[in-house]
Amino acid sequence: MFYNLGVKNNTAWNNNSVTFGKKETSRKSVCENHDHLLVEEMDKKPISTSLKITADKLQNAFIEYPIKGFKGSKNANFYQFLQMGTVPYLLGSAAMIGVFNLARVFMDGKSAKSAAKLGNKMALGVIGYGIMKNVSKKFIEAPVKHFRGIDVNLPYDKIVHELPEKGNENNLVKHEIHKAYESVDFPRWDLFYNNEFYGNERNSYYKEISKKFGYDPDSLDYSDQKMKSKIKETVVKTRLFTTLSSYFWAASAVGVAMQEPWTKMTFNPIQRFKNLKNNISIGKVQSNDFFVVEFAKKLGKSFGEFIGVDFGKIVKNIKSKEALTKGLEKATKTQIAGRALLGTALGLTILGNFFALHDFNKDKGSKTQASTSLIDDSREKVVC
Amino acid sequence: MANLLNPILVNKPTKPASQAVLPALTFSVDGKVKPLDYKGTLLPSKIFGSPKEYMHDLKQDVLNIGKAAKGQANDYELGRLNDVAMKLGALGLASYLFIKNPLKLSKAMEFVGLGTFFGGMALWPKLTIQAPLRARTGVDIHQKYIDSQGRKKMLHQDPQYDLTDLYSRKDLDMMGQKLKVDENLPDRDNFIKQRAKKTAIQGNTLWMMSAFSTPLISAVACNALEKPVGNLIEKAEMIASSAKLEKGSGFIESLKNSRAEKAIEKFLVKNLGKPMDDKLASELATKLGASLNSAEVTSAIKEELLSMKNSTALNKDVVLNAIKGIAPDKAAEIIANPEIAQAIESGSSVGKIASLLSQKMKGIVGKKVPKELIETSIKREMPSSVLTETVAQRVRDLNSSLASFSADRSILDRFLNARVVEQDGTYIAKQWDRVCGKLLKSLNLSSEELKALAQGSDLKDDVILKIDDLLDVKFKELVKDNARYEKIVDDLTNLINQYERQLCKVGNEEETFISVVKNKAQAMCEKAKGSLDEKGFKKIAEKIKSASGKGSVENTIITNSQERVLGAQSSFYRLLQMLDLYKQADSKGGNLRNNLRSALEAQGTTCDRDMIEKLVCACKKVINVAKTTDQIEKLGANGFGLSEKEFKAVMQVLYAPTEQTSSIKSVLVEQFGDEKARSILRGYEAYKSQFKTKVANWQNPMTPELQRRYVDAVTNSANGVERSNLVGSTVSDTIRSCANKTFNTNKWLKLFGISLAVVTAATLIIGLTFGRKSKMEKDAEKESKLNG
Repeated sequence: MFYNLGVKNNTAWNNNSVTFGKKETSRKSVCENHDHLLVEEMDKKPISTSLKITADKLQNAFIEYPIKGFKGSKNANFYQFLQMGTVPYLLGSAAMIGVFNLARVFMDGKSAKSAAKLGNKMALGVIGYGIMKNVSKKFIEAPVKHFRGIDVNLPYDKIVHELPEKGNENNLVKHEIHKAYESVDFPRWDLFYNNEFYGNERNSYYKEISKKFGYDPDSLDYSDQKMKSKIKETVVKTRLFTTLSSYFWAASAVGVAMQEPWTKMTFNPIQRFKNLKNNISIGKVQSNDFFVVEFAKKLGKSFGEFIGVDFGKIVKNIKSKEALTKGLEKATKTQIAGRALLGTALGLTILGNFFALHDFNKDKGSKTQASTSLIDDSREKVVC
Repeated sequence: MANLLNPILVNKPTKPASQAVLPALTFSVDGKVKPLDYKGTLLPSKIFGSPKEYMHDLKQDVLNIGKAAKGQANDYELGRLNDVAMKLGALGLASYLFIKNPLKLSKAMEFVGLGTFFGGMALWPKLTIQAPLRARTGVDIHQKYIDSQGRKKMLHQDPQYDLTDLYSRKDLDMMGQKLKVDENLPDRDNFIKQRAKKTAIQGNTLWMMSAFSTPLISAVACNALEKPVGNLIEKAEMIASSAKLEKGSGFIESLKNSRAEKAIEKFLVKNLGKPMDDKLASELATKLGASLNSAEVTSAIKEELLSMKNSTALNKDVVLNAIKGIAPDKAAEIIANPEIAQAIESGSSVGKIASLLSQKMKGIVGKKVPKELIETSIKREMPSSVLTETVAQRVRDLNSSLASFSADRSILDRFLNARVVEQDGTYIAKQWDRVCGKLLKSLNLSSEELKALAQGSDLKDDVILKIDDLLDVKFKELVKDNARYEKIVDDLTNLINQYERQLCKVGNEEETFISVVKNKAQAMCEKAKGSLDEKGFKKIAEKIKSASGKGSVENTIITNSQERVLGAQSSFYRLLQMLDLYKQADSKGGNLRNNLRSALEAQGTTCDRDMIEKLVCACKKVINVAKTTDQIEKLGANGFGLSEKEFKAVMQVLYAPTEQTSSIKSVLVEQFGDEKARSILRGYEAYKSQFKTKVANWQNPMTPELQRRYVDAVTNSANGVERSNLVGSTVSDTIRSCANKTFNTNKWLKLFGISLAVVTAATLIIGLTFGRKSKMEKDAEKESKLNG
């Protein structure tokens, strides 16, 4: 992405349409280049916007930032270093899948068979780990967003003016997609002021948040001052518990992937297609011939094996009060360990929800309480 | 200016800094208003941190979690949290997989995997990037510093946050020298700092781009560590299980008792009052016999449960009906006996009443009626039982006896699991791997030959070579090379001797492994039988220890152990015999042909050279591929096609005492002297003699028609199993399975080892290009020098 310095609205997010790689030609004042929240885009097109952000970040992490880094560019920064962290995650996962699956291609006899069994499990484990590590964060972040109005992942487009590497250079404006709350020490409070998306007032966003916290926004002198500490506290607690719980959810996903049902499933698409074609030709198509159906069945069975739950029994006794007890009555030592692992993940998520959504320092929000000790109400002041 | 907090360039200078006019200061400095001195300091630059430092950081991280839960943590603390959470999650997963894996080695490898993964993650950048760069340029890309708030951070983490001012004069000089920055530059320090920053950016980028190698490091390290870890576990388990066996089951017994008691109690309370039908008895029997791992015992428990009747159900009518079945005419008279009536009313047990009836009926009926018959009749007449408190009490009694037995058994099982049970990681399995590994190595196989053996395919070189012919060629080569032959004989006899010392002698010389197993199994089963008999559970006791010995738990434990030890021992000797035979068949000094000729002539058969050569081949084939069925068929079929006389000659020569063959012995005598050689070969002699008596001299040669019918019967009989174990595994199978394992391991290591080597080499080479002066930097240096 290259943009000319001094281009108006040269952001990738102009008019809700993402224009990666496009060069704007109309030249306007540099002052109109400013960081801005992608709140409208995320509100209207959350999925496509997120996908575009991810694609953009991946492209940069694999190509642009490494090139800069290897040159030792004076424009390299910590954001770029962190973005490059995606590379070992993805390549490392591929290497891990490869370690167990390439072996089966080269091995013979029994070893190939046992490698194939383990290969399926390991590949699923790696993918499951990645999915659950990210998805599970939503188990806390979504309630926080719903009940507190705080989107801890809210992205903003940051305009970076780079230094010229060699003499006079154009195209020195770059975009970085950051999160407004990525730093708890320095959240980008400024981006929320006068943001039309939240309303017409300067503090509309903070007033909205104060409502979610149970305050009457009109009774607060400075809703922004009051809410900033609350938001910060919520963000810290959310970050703590999403980080802690996500690794246990990821570990649980690996636990599910390590169960026996997966060893009997064919993942090779060519083989699956052949089987399906064969069964169609003999007129005996089974539901298991379809990948999604078989995968869902195996997932259910593996999950049942992981924590020792008999879903059949629960369904059978669904009307009885003992349905759950009967479904859970038999468990091996391993399944109890599985329950402990999943229980830890679940427990941390519940705890995370409780901590993040509970206001431990709640006051009634009277005008006097709203003032902090830093601000002396008796004197004139300018809040900025 | 632009910075992290204010990313927009405000008041962008329109002129170069040198020409910019600085605004005049509008406040006066009276000596008190000035920036605070920084307190940040560099930490000593080192590749590895100390454990003390690690523990301190860990403690701090844990404390930070508490702080964050209150919503008070800062970016630094939250940033470190990710590492803590990742390690906790990984520990949780490794613990789960530890519990899930049944084998001790697999359990241990979960944590080895965890350790190598995190170890690899930490060591990779240190060894391939940080250390070489520091040595070459003096720049430590992971240089740490402590900031004014006492937080430990990386100096080069954010290139836009320049902290190079923290470098000392000494550091700058050292880096300047290594980075070859001209000593006469007026602003040399600035150049050095810029180059250090640039090198760090390059190093950190390389770190991120090459960190995907962590799974490869972990996989290769685990592969390398599996063997030593396995050996360590094997040794530790051998010692621990022996000690436990000596010590007895005290603690485990009480633990098992209380656990079993709780589990059964819960079940009894839940099912109290329910009829003791087939389903309930099955469930209860499975619970009671869960840890005994014997279907026979569980089924005996079920029978016992079904026959448990309530003593309250025993009344006069029940007894009367029972007697009517035995003595219809005298039934009323017998029941009228006051002693019997009183016994029934007082609630005596069925056994007591039956015994009393047996005595009284002798007088009334005139002949003795067995007590057991009366007891069975009474029980049959008693109404179907329900799980009452009385029955529950009987179940508790039974449970306590079985729990003690199960505790004893778990200790003996551990002892056996460490040694002979058929699974990976046992002493037998490990020793087997060692022996096969040595033999395979001694054959000097090329990679194509190894592949052919591993895949069971013919070797396609100039001419197609069959697998067994390939082995023939390799063994011939081996025995021709005296040094190699002596070494492998020496290694194999050593390993077999170790095996015999371990499994044939435990503790003092008299006590063999089998005798220990026998004594312990007998004592354990005797104790359980006594306890069960005393409580009236005779049928169950019979399944644990029976007079005939057949099919009981005791017998199964002993015979299984004996079979495993013998099977492995025979297979070991068969490998040694293969070497022995090829040496005897070797044209130089081998006496196999003479021995065969003598054996045939002793039977009155004259023989020519072709016949002798045919028998030499037959001898080799017998050791290489003959299975139990071939031996049953007296090598008359399956391509052996020996006549009875030929069979006898081959067997006589193959299983003759070592004195007569002497190829192995001469090697050992040379190595250890006559006496020790004799002692080493004692087991080999015993094996051959046993084989000769029990397999080679098979009585009653069978016709082909009979053979087929008898194979099953013979192999399934007790002697059949022993014969089968004496025959052992064929040399061909043994070598091929070992070749398969080695081939796969080599291939795997080649694939991933080479990948890792390539990534490492690439990382090191790319690192060599870092820190160099670019053209622009050279120009800048020149310009600076010119400008003075």
